[in-house]
Amino acid sequence: FILKAEAAIMVRAAEPWPEKATLYQPLKEDQILLSDSASSLAVQTFLRMCGLPVQVSCCANAEYMSPSGKVPFIHVGNQVVSELGPIVQFIKAKGHSLSDGLDDVQRAEMKAYMELVNNMLLTAELYIQWCDDYTATEISRPRYSSPYSWPLNHILAYQKQWEVRRKMNAIGWSGKNLEQVYEDVSQCCQALSQRLGTQPYFFNKQPTELDALVFGHLFTILTTQLTNDELAEKVKSYTNLLSFCHRIEQTYFKEHDRESQSGSSRHSKGSLP
Amino acid sequence: MAEPMELLCWGGDWDLPSVHTDSLIVLAYAKFSGAKLAVKSIDWTWRTITASVPQLHYEASTVTEPTQILNFLRKQRFNADYELTAKQGADTMAYIALLEEKLRPALLHTFWVDADNYANLTRPWFTSHSPFPLNFFVPGRQASLALSRILLTKAESPLLNITEVEGKIYSEAKECLNLLSHRLGNFHFFFGDTPTSLDAFVFGHIAPLIKAPLPSGQLQKHLNQLDNLCQFCNTILKNYFNASAEKRTDCSPTAIHDPVDANLQKLTQLVNKESNLIEKMDDNLRSSPQHRPNSTPPS
Repeated sequence: FILKAEAAIMVRAAEPWPEKATLYQPLKEDQILLSDSASSLAVQTFLRMCGLPVQVSCCANAEYMSPSGKVPFIHVGNQVVSELGPIVQFIKAKGHSLSDGLDDVQRAEMKAYMELVNNMLLTAELYIQWCDDYTATEISRPRYSSPYSWPLNHILAYQKQWEVRRKMNAIGWSGKNLEQVYEDVSQCCQALSQRLGTQPYFFNKQPTELDALVFGHLFTILTTQLTNDELAEKVKSYTNLLSFCHRIEQTYFKEHDRESQSGSSRHSKGSLP
Repeated sequence: MAEPMELLCWGGDWDLPSVHTDSLIVLAYAKFSGAKLAVKSIDWTWRTITASVPQLHYEASTVTEPTQILNFLRKQRFNADYELTAKQGADTMAYIALLEEKLRPALLHTFWVDADNYANLTRPWFTSHSPFPLNFFVPGRQASLALSRILLTKAESPLLNITEVEGKIYSEAKECLNLLSHRLGNFHFFFGDTPTSLDAFVFGHIAPLIKAPLPSGQLQKHLNQLDNLCQFCNTILKNYFNASAEKRTDCSPTAIHDPVDANLQKLTQLVNKESNLIEKMDDNLRSSPQHRPNSTPPS
């Protein structure tokens, strides 16, 4: 009874996590791109770390269904929440949190590192996908528009490319060339590697949303085939990050490994080398 | 160094060496690392619209953007981060990213998009510091750049409306300020007793917010409640920018009275000396006989 009363006090009266919670993302085989795949994997990892089961549902129009226009988003009960930040807060309101044990200074650090990943890694992924002409022509545009027929596929692909390039322009990344972007990724990985050190997780024994986010991005970079392997090579040069990814894959994805990795897709190379 | 490095930046006001965040970052870092910069303000020149500020000129090369300029200064052996450990260096990168993502949009909004502030403070300042006819274009251009940056990075694509984004960016900025305050704690600087590049970045972002006389500043009110950040800002201004703070006695009502009094004292002493001299000379003239030359040297 006491537990029920406490639960009732919480925001949204803490409905228990339903059996049919769903996570929506674009089509895995043909449509999803590196940055969306990374974000989606980060959310999935976070949910697994919290011990909350969720079904992954792939839809071609996931981006349009999302309340904020960004994938992934989760559909829980009668609520729809998108992007890792709001999802973490939503789950915290339901009573599950990975970062409760942190003090104020550590929480500040965690938020800062999450912004570092968003600011550098995610932006670099978007740049490589849409601002590098070769990658955009060979991979991004064809994949993004694959579920649609002509001429819609051309229109949507170019529209998305234009949007991303505008954003890059606004934050000052349009003046960068590919080499500088790879260098930024390398610096970001160096910072993460130094912060991680020899610990199992970023805040020692317990994983937090930062671990989920970093894993999502690094694992996707390592296992996604782009026009060249340079991005993956940058990440691979930091051995503690590689073992970090291995560890999380083994701990949280082990039982699903054999089921979901069967039937290798053209885009994903499967599990880590 | 054959010739000093030249920095182009916006001019100063409100007790600050510059009102522009990026320029402040570079100026602060230069002070921390001991680099001597010849600071040239672009106010009242055509550079207000042609140059991307801040800009560092050295020998034949030009460097823009605070991060690039700081890297360049480090290569020239002006390194304020020398004593940081690898982990602290990583923390620096992370906190700078936090500032850019969470605090910068709200700062841009406060100065350039909020109607009250823009009309009463920002636009008049930039208009009065730009030459004719640029004063018609410069503030408007900066404002539209700021607005588009906020919308493109923070607004969710179906809802390209600034009012919906406002609540979100201000709450994120307040959270960011709280996080910085927690991280700073009771220390003078973020990594011990000497300032580093992170201190320069934080200073550049919060100093205009603290010092500018904003008509409507909810973020400013929030920041003023965080004593340690205000103290941090004032410490840097006092220790590293003291000379420029003294010169601006007219537009800073809170100017410390000591320099003024000291100047007054010096002036009084000089006047006294002069009057003593005159008296002595007078005495000598009166007491000397007429055909003896007056060659008594003044004391």
